[in-house]
Amino acid sequence: MSAAALDGIRVLELTDESAEYCGRLLAGLGADVVKLEPPGGAPSRQIGPFLDDEPGPDRSLAFWADNVGKRSVVVADDAAVLELCGTADVLVHTLRPGEAEARGLDFASLQARTPELVVCAVTPFGQDGPWADYLADDLVLMALGGSMAACGYGPGPDGTYDTPPLACHGDQAWRTASTYAAIAALGAIAWRARSGQGQFIDVSAHECSASMTEWHLMTYLCSGAVHRRGPHPTLTAADGRQVAALNPDFLGPHVFAGMLEMLEAEGVAGPLSDPAFADPVHRAGNYREVWRALKRLAEKHDGETLYELGQGAGLPWGVIRSPEEVLADRHLRARGHFVELEHPELGRSVTYPGAPFLAHASPWVARRRPPLLGEHTEEVRDEWSAR
Amino acid sequence: MALEGLRILDLTRLGFGAQATLICGCLGAEVIRVESTRFPDAIRVMPPFVPEPGERGEAFGVATLANATGAASPNRGGIFYKYNTGGKRSITVNARHPKGLALLKDLVAHSDVVTESFAAGTLDRWGLSYDVMREIRPDIVYVSMCGFGHEGPDTSHVTMGPTAQALTGLTFLVGLPDRPPAGWSFSYLDHVGGYLGAIAILAGLIHRGRTGEGQHVDVSQLEPATALSGALLLDAMLNGRPSRRPGFPTGNRRAHPPCAPSGAYRARGDDKWVVVSCRTEEQWKALRRAVGSPPWSTDPRFATMAGRVEHADDLDAHLEAWTSERDRYEVMALLQDSGVPAGAVQDAADRLERDPQLAARGHYTMLGNAEVDPLPLEGVPFRMSATPPHTGGRLRRGPPCLGEDNESVLGEVLGMSAADVGALEAEGVLS
Repeated sequence: MSAAALDGIRVLELTDESAEYCGRLLAGLGADVVKLEPPGGAPSRQIGPFLDDEPGPDRSLAFWADNVGKRSVVVADDAAVLELCGTADVLVHTLRPGEAEARGLDFASLQARTPELVVCAVTPFGQDGPWADYLADDLVLMALGGSMAACGYGPGPDGTYDTPPLACHGDQAWRTASTYAAIAALGAIAWRARSGQGQFIDVSAHECSASMTEWHLMTYLCSGAVHRRGPHPTLTAADGRQVAALNPDFLGPHVFAGMLEMLEAEGVAGPLSDPAFADPVHRAGNYREVWRALKRLAEKHDGETLYELGQGAGLPWGVIRSPEEVLADRHLRARGHFVELEHPELGRSVTYPGAPFLAHASPWVARRRPPLLGEHTEEVRDEWSAR
Repeated sequence: MALEGLRILDLTRLGFGAQATLICGCLGAEVIRVESTRFPDAIRVMPPFVPEPGERGEAFGVATLANATGAASPNRGGIFYKYNTGGKRSITVNARHPKGLALLKDLVAHSDVVTESFAAGTLDRWGLSYDVMREIRPDIVYVSMCGFGHEGPDTSHVTMGPTAQALTGLTFLVGLPDRPPAGWSFSYLDHVGGYLGAIAILAGLIHRGRTGEGQHVDVSQLEPATALSGALLLDAMLNGRPSRRPGFPTGNRRAHPPCAPSGAYRARGDDKWVVVSCRTEEQWKALRRAVGSPPWSTDPRFATMAGRVEHADDLDAHLEAWTSERDRYEVMALLQDSGVPAGAVQDAADRLERDPQLAARGHYTMLGNAEVDPLPLEGVPFRMSATPPHTGGRLRRGPPCLGEDNESVLGEVLGMSAADVGALEAEGVLS
């Protein structure tokens, strides 16, 4: 059997819910990720929804989602944390600036004991700067980072907005920070393999959130304009489902040619068959006619069919699905994306999203369901002390 | 730098693929972009255009082929500058010319990683499939990044960020109750897909370092997104509570744990907003003090978190009456200084000109090239103590002009003389 990329790499996770996704990614790459929890359990175990809506440390679905593949060790105090750091490769924590020092878990102290340890701190604003001690949850980070300013409903006919900027569900700023933390940790692991040297990684979730708004900064630099909020072009199909219907004319003349062929076959092309529409300038000036034809098409079909018709014509259309509707996607199923993990204490298995990519020589792994509180305390103590 | 001495032959285009290699470039890898003068990367030639020194560009708009071809040069497309920091170099190679293909094969032999983001099957048609590459370089790490990946029934499907966002549930998750999804107005998944592409490259290199084995890693734009919705998938499957239900999604209000006040509130000015989020009793008490303990703040309905959540609409109206008379940064500072999580809703101009934290952290690096004056550009948003990343990559330079490194790359990597390069140029190989 092929080995996973991080087989044998020991990662300690001392985090709140903001950075658990980092450990999930590293576990998927094969690392032995050990979640350190206080005797009462990590705070994320108290976050709903819960299995059957009954709260309990081993029933939080939010905890399950981000802790697949990890082991759980209960630590009574920071002396126990320090001891484990001595045999770990990576420590990921979410201690605020100052807090790590106060607890003796600052990088200087850790490095003095274990020079090859990689320490990755994920905090809202980073270790320094005027906002370093400010408080943030995901919503605050989505606001400051710029996503919210560009997400939401468009203005009314008078140009004013009667609805607020919106943040996406699912803690996307924290997930972006967690993903960057995983990237930085991998870079540090690669470097350590060559140099034997550990190091300190300082991830600012605010900076991460500020980096993910595509061309917005460039638009401002180039034109002085800022992007306001409003949805992408969306068609409503006959069954009420919606389809994101992008028509990227800028990629070349084949885009409109493919669309026209499909619309003609469907008998809804109307004026678009006029050769004048082959000219992109004419098309841009009469885009209303293009959109009308697309609406005629949408009225004839359900959402999934409309999606397939667009894709068949080479257009990057996508039907808008809820998260659970993604489970039925035949392509993802054929790629073996969703994995079943046995929860023996429940006598059932649960489906989780699996590999974010197919790596054939070092496959993504989903080795265990999320851990019960303290489930591996003794096991890890025995295994890790052996090194 | 962490990836010093590693070479990536980078055939990616647009945002999704280029995001992955910019990260590796910032970590010190040598990234050689392989481009075409005949089919330039669309983001090199589409608006918004980087203005000539001393002037602002024309207003941006919907990109069409008409104004795309209006670019004065392939080096003025603004979006290119977002995705091609990291000290990338640029060479132009005509892969359809036999000598061009031979050149690419020579470069593969001298590379650690090959990345590309063409449609599935494109490289095979060029004669540069993974099988061909690994014959040349057995331990090559080949990372393909395309919408639906290279395996599966729908590999011919095409995506842009919003396509993948729609298909994976992320568009659905931005919206107010009982209204159609508002979605994202930008390609969040170009970034996320690129992050996972970077992880694929790094993991492939680590695996190679440990085993000597190369591989093909097949990255799609869909799979990196399925875990981003957190517990919602499990809630639907295990509790029978689908996300597609009345009242969901809940706008800016958190469902778990429920808390109030929490949301975006109008501030003084035209469409200016500030976010406030009280997730604990302590934060609520701090908020009450910060707003001056007006009568509404001691309303018994708001005495407990459960009460505040139940009466969130009323509570929000009171709080918004207070915020809407104040500047958003003033609200943020006042509340933060009192211990309440709060933040201004910032746009790109705010982040660049009004955000003291990004400035203090050195988030932007001024970088230009032979045609473009230095601009404040972004790299990776983290620091590393032993191997500091740099937005200009190992060469400390800005995004490359198209083909500007033909001579230096072919000289350094393949040992070609200026005369050799000139001959290839004359034959149309470097186009």
